[in-house]
Amino acid sequence: MDMIVCGLFRVLRAKVFPLHQARYFHSETRLLASDKSLLVKLRRQTGYSFVKCKQALDKFNNDLKQAEAWLHDEAQKQGWSKASKLKGRKTAEGLIGLLQEGNCAVMVEVNCETDFVARNANFQQLVQQVALGTMMHYQGKQETLSTYIKSFLGADELAQLKTSSDGTSLSDQVALTIGKLGENMTLRRAAWVAVPPNFFIGSYVHGATPSNLPSSSTVVFGRYGALVICQTSEESSRSSILELGRRLGQHVVGMSPLSVGSLQDEPGGDTETKMLAQPFLLDPNISMGEYLYPRGVAVLDFLRFECGEELEMANAEPARHSAEN
Amino acid sequence: MAALGVSSIWRAAVLRSCVSGLQLFNLQSQTYLFPTSCLYPILLRNYAAEAKKVFVRDKPHVNIGTIGHVDHGKTTLTAAITKVLAETGGAKYKKYEDIDSAPEEKSRGITINASHVEYSTANRHYSHTDCPGHADYVKNMITGTSQMDGCILVVAATDGQMPQTREHLLLAKQIGVEHVVVFVNKADAVEDKEMLDLVELEIRELLTEFGYDGEKTPVIIGSALCALEGKNQELGVSSILKLLDSVDDCIPLPTRELDKPFLLPIESIHSIPGRGTVVTGTLERGIVKKGDDCEFVGHNKKIQSVVTGIETFHQSLERAEAGDNLGSLVRGLKREDLRRGMVMCKPGSIKPHQKIEAQVYILSKEEGGRHKPFVSYFMPVMFSLTWDMACRVVLPANKEMVMPGEDTSLTLILRQPMVLEKGQRFTLRDGNRTIGTGLVTDILEMTPDDQSKWG
Repeated sequence: MDMIVCGLFRVLRAKVFPLHQARYFHSETRLLASDKSLLVKLRRQTGYSFVKCKQALDKFNNDLKQAEAWLHDEAQKQGWSKASKLKGRKTAEGLIGLLQEGNCAVMVEVNCETDFVARNANFQQLVQQVALGTMMHYQGKQETLSTYIKSFLGADELAQLKTSSDGTSLSDQVALTIGKLGENMTLRRAAWVAVPPNFFIGSYVHGATPSNLPSSSTVVFGRYGALVICQTSEESSRSSILELGRRLGQHVVGMSPLSVGSLQDEPGGDTETKMLAQPFLLDPNISMGEYLYPRGVAVLDFLRFECGEELEMANAEPARHSAEN
Repeated sequence: MAALGVSSIWRAAVLRSCVSGLQLFNLQSQTYLFPTSCLYPILLRNYAAEAKKVFVRDKPHVNIGTIGHVDHGKTTLTAAITKVLAETGGAKYKKYEDIDSAPEEKSRGITINASHVEYSTANRHYSHTDCPGHADYVKNMITGTSQMDGCILVVAATDGQMPQTREHLLLAKQIGVEHVVVFVNKADAVEDKEMLDLVELEIRELLTEFGYDGEKTPVIIGSALCALEGKNQELGVSSILKLLDSVDDCIPLPTRELDKPFLLPIESIHSIPGRGTVVTGTLERGIVKKGDDCEFVGHNKKIQSVVTGIETFHQSLERAEAGDNLGSLVRGLKREDLRRGMVMCKPGSIKPHQKIEAQVYILSKEEGGRHKPFVSYFMPVMFSLTWDMACRVVLPANKEMVMPGEDTSLTLILRQPMVLEKGQRFTLRDGNRTIGTGLVTDILEMTPDDQSKWG
């Protein structure tokens, strides 16, 4: 993979350089009046830079369709060259995207350099594609479960995934977005969770950036995200579960517990890291365990993503073990 | 390097002593007839701070910044401005690399200092800010580290407006920047004049879309690179000069503190036998003179009086200006009538309020704030001017909790009305910990429901 990128980059560099110098000496033919309206139209439609749009129109004799197709192609190439140029720049901002469908849920993190970009519709679209792609990757695996499954994808695996819409790889999509927005971006991680029928997944996204996407799917964006895996006894009703799940997610985001703990744990103070022993965020007078017990809900596991946080694999492991105990 | 450092410090020290010596001499030769022995420490105290600055304040100061899409040439433009102005002595030339690699741009925290370039035109002195991030800017606006009176929007002629141009404009609007000047950069890379027209047309549309005056906003076409490399006089140096002229013309001077009605937050109250009641504090803004009418507001009181004398460091003053530390003798009031936390102000200029809308930054754990979030009905203590008062937090409708390190808008309801106005800054504390700092963005009316909740 890396080899290909390098090779591509070399070819592109050779192509880009003469172009760059041409900036100063190149003399272009004047635009005709009819071209002008086409140029504006093409730019409105595609959002690519004026110079590129003009180049495309010149190349295809003002054929709008061909020009547009060429622009998309070119953007992909440019994206890759830009991506390799920006590679290594620090990406500490970004978004968490959370998607829940039936009995499974996906949480992904994509990083960028500044929060200006995190607010941009193009970037949100990328996060959405990553979430949908991850969901698709796991499709079919949630059948006939006896207990919950939780699975993680790292940066490399994510890059290989295909998008759900047109089947291109996610790394292509990242390059394309880098080309558009001019900032380094990285796919960081993804988690997928599926549960059997008598379980449910509570979810919450914090710091939700208003979605700029026109026809947004159910992906929610924010700076923090949490998934809480719970088991219910029969009497709790469906609607109250949704709200309860949300509160549990909120608690996980807010109090950042490190492990679930058990109902037998003594309620702890502010520094407690076992979720069930922590004071409940929305009512600090009782512990999480005391809040859950009368409601017939048991928390089995949880996941918490904070955008840009340091990853400590060591912390994730004990959390899983204690859940099983 | 070390030797250089030492010598420059030494030079500064000499300069400083010269300056303060000069001031001492001047003052002594004027009308002051006090014994020098007692005058000495006082003057030292007064002038030490001023003598430290070698900065000459001969022009009004304005804060501006550059915004625009990445790679459109914000930093190149800044470098070009300093280069062009360096020729007339209005700036120190800063290379692209100097600006780009400034340590300030990398460090992030509550006191990020985003401005690292200064220059002056014939009429004004500017401090120039670059854009590190949306959250950083909002944080800066709230904590008051750097405000922008106006900004230069940079757009590359080759690209036209690009995605980040929009986000930056949105931010400018959010932090209250009202005046924008546009610089269409990289015009040398576009042969076709008509294309420049298209770019200009598009950017005017965009400005209008964001609620700016798209038609009247000046749009300057040029090339920062040409100016830096000394090529193409018209697109290069001239365009930069033209841009600076527009900035001078279109970005109005902020109202100076001195021109506002006076306000003295009361720090303490003394009763001086034989003279009367004296209130002390630092004059926040305006000018106060002997004989001025004044009003005391706060802690559910409103009392009219007259300033019968002003003193600073045991000397009487005819007029005190914003920033002066002073004591003011007031007519016909007893010490018990007044309280720390009230303000002395020009009658009718300021009112107490109980419910406000504010933009608040909540300190992160690393900055010494809370380590867990808070939800509605949280009750911190609000500190502003010299008063403090318990208040109740109401989160905006789309928010359920506020995490440390976040900025948010909040509605705050005070237990009692205190002096508050739009633009006033405050701090929120909980127990012995500062949890956040904020800026009043709007004054709201109390509803009977709000009232009853304080019981």
